[in-house]
Amino acid sequence: MDPFLLSSSQRNQWLSKLLERFVVYVPIELEDQVHWHRLKPADLDSGADVITPALRRIRASEPVKSFMFAPREQVGAFPEKQEPTESKTRVLLGVKNCDLVPLKVHDKILTDGEFKDPFYIARRKNTILVAADCPVPEESCFCNLLGLTPYAGDGADAVLSVSDDGYLFEVGERGQELVRVAPELFQEVGASDARVTKRDTERESAVAALSRINPQPLSPDLSAAVAVRRKDESFWQRHAEKCVECFGCLMGCPTCYCFLLYDQAKEKGLDRTRVWDACYLAAYARVGGGANPRAEFVKRFANRFICKFSDFKTDHGMYACSGCGRCFKACMGKIDIRKVLAEL
Amino acid sequence: MSNPYEAIPAIILKTFDETPNIRTFVLKPEQEIPFMAGQFIELTVPGFGEAPFTPSSSHFKRDILEMTIMKVGKATGALFGLKPGDTVGVRGPYGKPYPLEKFAGKDIYIVGGGVGLAPLRALFLALTHEIDKYKRIYLRYGARTPNDIVYRHLLPEWEKLPKVDVDLSVDVSDEKWMKKVGVVTCLMDEIPCDEKTSIAVVCGPPIMMKFVNQRLLEAGFQGENIYLSMETNMSCGVGQCRHCRLGPYLTCKDGPVLTWAQIKDIENPFV
Repeated sequence: MDPFLLSSSQRNQWLSKLLERFVVYVPIELEDQVHWHRLKPADLDSGADVITPALRRIRASEPVKSFMFAPREQVGAFPEKQEPTESKTRVLLGVKNCDLVPLKVHDKILTDGEFKDPFYIARRKNTILVAADCPVPEESCFCNLLGLTPYAGDGADAVLSVSDDGYLFEVGERGQELVRVAPELFQEVGASDARVTKRDTERESAVAALSRINPQPLSPDLSAAVAVRRKDESFWQRHAEKCVECFGCLMGCPTCYCFLLYDQAKEKGLDRTRVWDACYLAAYARVGGGANPRAEFVKRFANRFICKFSDFKTDHGMYACSGCGRCFKACMGKIDIRKVLAEL
Repeated sequence: MSNPYEAIPAIILKTFDETPNIRTFVLKPEQEIPFMAGQFIELTVPGFGEAPFTPSSSHFKRDILEMTIMKVGKATGALFGLKPGDTVGVRGPYGKPYPLEKFAGKDIYIVGGGVGLAPLRALFLALTHEIDKYKRIYLRYGARTPNDIVYRHLLPEWEKLPKVDVDLSVDVSDEKWMKKVGVVTCLMDEIPCDEKTSIAVVCGPPIMMKFVNQRLLEAGFQGENIYLSMETNMSCGVGQCRHCRLGPYLTCKDGPVLTWAQIKDIENPFV
């Protein structure tokens, strides 16, 4: 299907229309960082506070997984039953590829296995993903080192690129819903339109920028490279030294999916809550009797790399890392995952 | 879509004290849990938490679940405060059962330590239920003292079964103890079955598993014929949360029983 153009002058009109049918989230700039923001009709009123989605910036600080795999969620009750609740369909406008790819990681664990997570599945179905190109990579970006691109491959319902005079959309089947809210605002442009050509040029220059930021390729088989280091504690110790065990890297990670189920008593029975967990925690692998296979932090540090680059690749055919760079942006010890991977 | 995180109610029909800190709970779940020996279930003590346990009853009788449990932590502590008629939650079965088809026609050499006899009992009952399928069953069991032996009332009956050979030891004896004294490996000086083809199944505290496994290897057992119950921290039980990772395996999904051939390259598998 040929791309559609939404002109800049009609952007807010379209967003208003979207808000009538959907809950809409957009990335916005707050100080120097990008954050997800739930769009309100008032954001679109003309005036000093009008919101402009920061679609050309890199990924938001919050990983997109949070929208489907909530940091904290009730997933069970006893003796009664807990089911996913119905809610208005959400549109995430401006998802970067380094957040889109990690959703595949969650899909593999929570929907593709023998046991399926009805809560994740309900939220995933209930979300329309609009990807946005990432034309200006920053120093922390390294998707290129993992074979990914700064624009969406598959996995989005629509792909948006910002052009000089508006938004250029390529829409998939579900993405058409976004056009249908106000078809009169969209104009079909041909595949040879100058805007499309310019978009492709911008994509190429983003790839070139990433090569300048990360010129040295990593091992072509990180899975094997990590496997070789599995028991090499001195290697991991060298990199783990500056870690203060704050878990910021794990909480910001778009692929990490570890969780803990815990129960809270109520008058009759219990509520079961799922919270994100962190494999860096000392108690993470400790058994009831007190034994702990990863009592020393260095083993837990290595575990993170083994999980992301070796086990996940072996079991699911992909790395559980998309090069978003959130882990070392958050790191107080300035441990750069690229450096660890480069020295494997 | 069913919710894998949610338990179904099960009533405690009766309890039986095996030792001062190990108790067998006979549960009747609201719906049958179609487990096979070796698989585990997640048991919820409402308000106190959830933990994985392997049923110790026969999978040929699934309307009830017998769970033999040692009091060690918060959830088991609370469980010991419950009485017949009280309700707990169960979900499962999870994990892989013992591959009984691979055991057919062979000697099965079972070694248990302490409360580790609980999951082995489910296996033992499954094997003896169809004893013609197997060559001979050897059960070697060690406990700390005669008072720490589980299934004390059942062991004399098991000894009388055809094609079954039972031997026991205790680390510390009392005046009435007539059998061997020493850790369970003292029962393994002579292994009366063909080491090259026989199946060994081991469950017990990690240190016991380590030495029993070593002894079995010395005796000539093949790594792929040694089945070990691996104890790891589990949360979800369904292969998602990753708490139970052991080397490249998730014990909830790939285990909880793994062969020595599977885990031999893992650093310190018996922690």
